[in-house]
Amino acid sequence: MPDKEISKKDVIIRNYRTSDYRATLEILKQLNEHLDIGFNEKQWREASGLRQFKPNLKRITLIAELKNNGEVVSMGMIEAVKNTLGRYIGYLNHWATKKEYIGKKVGKLVVDRAIQILQSWGCDSVRINLPYGTNEKLLEIFKKTEFHPIITVLEKRF
Amino acid sequence: MVDIFSKGSAEKNPNEVLCVVYILYFDEKRGQIPLLIYPNDKLRSNKKFMRPIQYHPVWFLETEELDHVDLEYNAYTFFGKKFFTKSDRQKRRAGLKEETPETIVIIVSLPVEIDIFGDDLIRKLTKSIRDNFGDKLFEVIESEIASDIIIKTPKMQERIQNGKKLKVFMRDSIDKTIKNYFAKTIKKKSDSSSIKTQKAISYFALKGFEFSPLSSLKGGEGFSDIELFDPTKNVDEEFQTKSLFTIKNINYIEDSQELEVVIQNNTIKELENISISISHVKEFFEKEIRNELIDIWFAEEELLFISPILPHIDEYLITIYKQNDGNQNQKILTKKIDLKLINKIKS
Repeated sequence: MPDKEISKKDVIIRNYRTSDYRATLEILKQLNEHLDIGFNEKQWREASGLRQFKPNLKRITLIAELKNNGEVVSMGMIEAVKNTLGRYIGYLNHWATKKEYIGKKVGKLVVDRAIQILQSWGCDSVRINLPYGTNEKLLEIFKKTEFHPIITVLEKRF
Repeated sequence: MVDIFSKGSAEKNPNEVLCVVYILYFDEKRGQIPLLIYPNDKLRSNKKFMRPIQYHPVWFLETEELDHVDLEYNAYTFFGKKFFTKSDRQKRRAGLKEETPETIVIIVSLPVEIDIFGDDLIRKLTKSIRDNFGDKLFEVIESEIASDIIIKTPKMQERIQNGKKLKVFMRDSIDKTIKNYFAKTIKKKSDSSSIKTQKAISYFALKGFEFSPLSSLKGGEGFSDIELFDPTKNVDEEFQTKSLFTIKNINYIEDSQELEVVIQNNTIKELENISISISHVKEFFEKEIRNELIDIWFAEEELLFISPILPHIDEYLITIYKQNDGNQNQKILTKKIDLKLINKIKS
């Protein structure tokens, strides 16, 4: 793939299929190596990325696939959860792009589609989880798209 | 029932342990009366044999809208379907007119090992009987009533003969439907992912039905052309196209005590307004624990449904409905899940 940016016409943004299992596993492993997101390979099963229906939860895994060769280059999960205050919050989780495609704006194409979907689900707001210590420059970029930092999440692992 | 089937007095028929079909009607004077029992009509006077038929819940249904009602009894499942047909028979109860429709009940009994085929088989049999004999069933009923009368007029005798002829055709039609069904609609693969299908095929093999690829070389009409271990054959196309959805995978997640079901839309078009219900049966009552409406189900898309498992409840029922234009739900698929039989995973 040349160094130029990937545009809308180069990719198909679609729902995860079980045939994407291997490709998504690789991307998530890369993300975990980079940011230690607590990914456990055994818990990512073939069906994990399917459009999911669970009480009080809706989840879709979006896949960006190159039109010319069908390669899966980016992925991200969107969830809509009713919180304890009754608000319907959309989350963008585990956004990851294959190493060689980082910086080519393919991730943004997936995020734009995800926000459209969350709006259509009737979410009151959309939240993005970013790694702790995300640099100011990236936060500024998000501010331009009207995403403002509101909470810091602390985690204790068992 | 098992002991009755094994009696030497029963008519020898290779299919009789496999499937019994009862066609009955509701007589305004005498109650539930069998019109025809396939394959062995002699069993109609055997009280022990007829017990589950007399007490089948299908008789308590007020409507024919329900697809069918099942009764599990003594290692057999009795699938019952009620419907009404045209009548031109003089009734023997005040208030009923000649044109008051006849109440017909079809019951199909299958050993529990192969009851996975019951839903489809009873639909096919009901359709075949309704399409081919729907308007003539009252004549068979007239013949049944006439044959009980001691002194028979020539007209009655004519009716009896006419009824007997119709019964021969009905029996032939049932025989063809059953043979055709088992011969064509079972997947011709031994590596089916469904435990129920594997169990059913094992049952056929155990009972000695013809599975061998060599069976087709024996000549004559065999019971079935089910052939195991034949990699050159494809899955029966008719069976595949008829099924809108496939339950691809069912898991029991032990850590979170959840039931995980993957269902695929088999069609190449988007389906709208499909609802999935997960329920459990406790003391004869079905209780819904989850109902999800899918606005759009994309072509060939697999969806994952997760439902909590209730303490001490091992059996669940998954039902897929399609909402039609009048906002009425049409049942498309039903599957019973036994937690003891499905795949268990930790998390």
